[in-house]
Amino acid sequence: MRKTLLFIPLAVLALIILLPFLWTVSTSLKPLTEVNRYPPEWTSPSMSLKPYSDMFFYLPFSRYTLNSLIVASSATMLTLIVGSLAAFAFARFRFRGRKQFLLVLLLSQMLPGASVIIPLFQILKTAGLYDTHIGLILVHTAVLLPFVIWLLHGFFSGIPTEVEDAALIDGCSRLEALRRIILPLALPGLGATALFAFLGSWNEFFFALILTNSDATQTIPVGIGLFVGEFEDVWNQMSAAAVLFSIPPLILFMAMRRTFVRGIAAGALQ
Amino acid sequence: MKRVTPYMLLAPALLFTVFILLYPMGQNLVNSFRDVSLVREGRGWSGLLNYEHVFGDAVFWLAFRNTAVYAVAGTSLALLVGLSLALVLDVNTGKMSSVAAGLYSIPWVISPVVAGFAWKWLLNDHFGILNYWLSSAGIARNGTSWLGNPHTALFCVMAARAWQFYPFAMVMFLAGLQSIPAEQYEAASVDGASSFRKFFHITIPNLRPVSSVLLLLGVIWSFNDFNMVFVMTRGGPINASMVLPVLVREYSFVHFDLGKGSALSVMIFALLVTLSFLYLRVLARRERA
Repeated sequence: MRKTLLFIPLAVLALIILLPFLWTVSTSLKPLTEVNRYPPEWTSPSMSLKPYSDMFFYLPFSRYTLNSLIVASSATMLTLIVGSLAAFAFARFRFRGRKQFLLVLLLSQMLPGASVIIPLFQILKTAGLYDTHIGLILVHTAVLLPFVIWLLHGFFSGIPTEVEDAALIDGCSRLEALRRIILPLALPGLGATALFAFLGSWNEFFFALILTNSDATQTIPVGIGLFVGEFEDVWNQMSAAAVLFSIPPLILFMAMRRTFVRGIAAGALQ
Repeated sequence: MKRVTPYMLLAPALLFTVFILLYPMGQNLVNSFRDVSLVREGRGWSGLLNYEHVFGDAVFWLAFRNTAVYAVAGTSLALLVGLSLALVLDVNTGKMSSVAAGLYSIPWVISPVVAGFAWKWLLNDHFGILNYWLSSAGIARNGTSWLGNPHTALFCVMAARAWQFYPFAMVMFLAGLQSIPAEQYEAASVDGASSFRKFFHITIPNLRPVSSVLLLLGVIWSFNDFNMVFVMTRGGPINASMVLPVLVREYSFVHFDLGKGSALSVMIFALLVTLSFLYLRVLARRERA
């Protein structure tokens, strides 16, 4: 009885909170004539998935999707490789300057994008990497690294050193121990970190907007962000793009909710 | 050999941090004292001229005020909503509140660009559902352009931003609520305290440390936030919702004055360092407590 009493307010709250998103979903299923109708309706008999195929036809979204996939997956891989090496150093070695390095990482995480964007733009231009996938991948990697190192450091520290010591006694080198012992044991942690990194790059807008300039490299958020000003007559296709773009983050979130929640709580409190 | 291993492991990460974050940071400072343009040859050192230009620009002062309002009021709103929802979810109903917590977190998961887009469409002056409801209820005239009106634009963007940030606060508050020792409540019950008194004398004081961390983090993040304003209003109408990060882009890539853009971003950085310093102090105090 108490449960059903609570169900209704919880469900109503969910509807109110998700209103902007639900309205976008509803719009993404309507033909244009229904979108531009007053009074607006939530549903209509002529709802279909047509805007979802139209958007690939009228707007360059298949290209954007490919770009987003290339950038996000490469940045994730690169971040994980570079990040796990650094995290291993922090978790397993005592060395001079350890504290200072950690502080630099912590501080670079606080760095406002606005205060590096102009030089980055100039550097990438000079290096011929402006408006390329590689340029954006490198920038995303650098931006994601501090958080990734910090997460992996936590996972690595949780693995008892005894396992590793045994491997070292058996004649493994430190790097072999990392590859054969620590990485497999930290696999769940690595998976969760990979998700964080992927989402970070997938959703990133500011750097992508300023460091790319053509359909061949622009990612989905840039496409949506720029079209919002210019293609306001095709709200249904724009909504379809927004919904489609949100599906990967939503699926990942649902699958990894516990890790996510633990991650945020830890990330801000420790 | 053993001595250099950690440095070798750190080297790639340091290369990234130095070349893509720290060196640009320094270059930015240098730029801010030079005349650098995107469309013509630069004229070299210009002293404090870029800073003078920024300070002499009325839009800068407007954007500064807007950013402060956006960051402080937006974050407070998000904290208030987050705390209320955390209190609702803290009433333990097992699986149901866990599912609800998941649903309430969705705004935090979706991209800020999508969030901005969804709000912009929701608030559309003719075909948005919110306008229709408000006009049906007689609260506002239909066709009210909330984002096109200088008096309401910033407030709308702020609401959208709060919508994105509150789930973070909610999760943190929930963790905070669940870490309050049950003994404190039991002891209060034995003493015959009302739930009202328990809330103000046990719950609120216990949540104070989490709240200060959240407030500072929220202000820092909102201060840096470019996405929501850019997607929803581009800073308009007539700069009414302009914020500092968007203004940096405006100076640099719309007016092509990289020097002036750099000067402004150095100022943002200085402000943020001050805020981060405060944040670290609050964290340190928490650890000692």
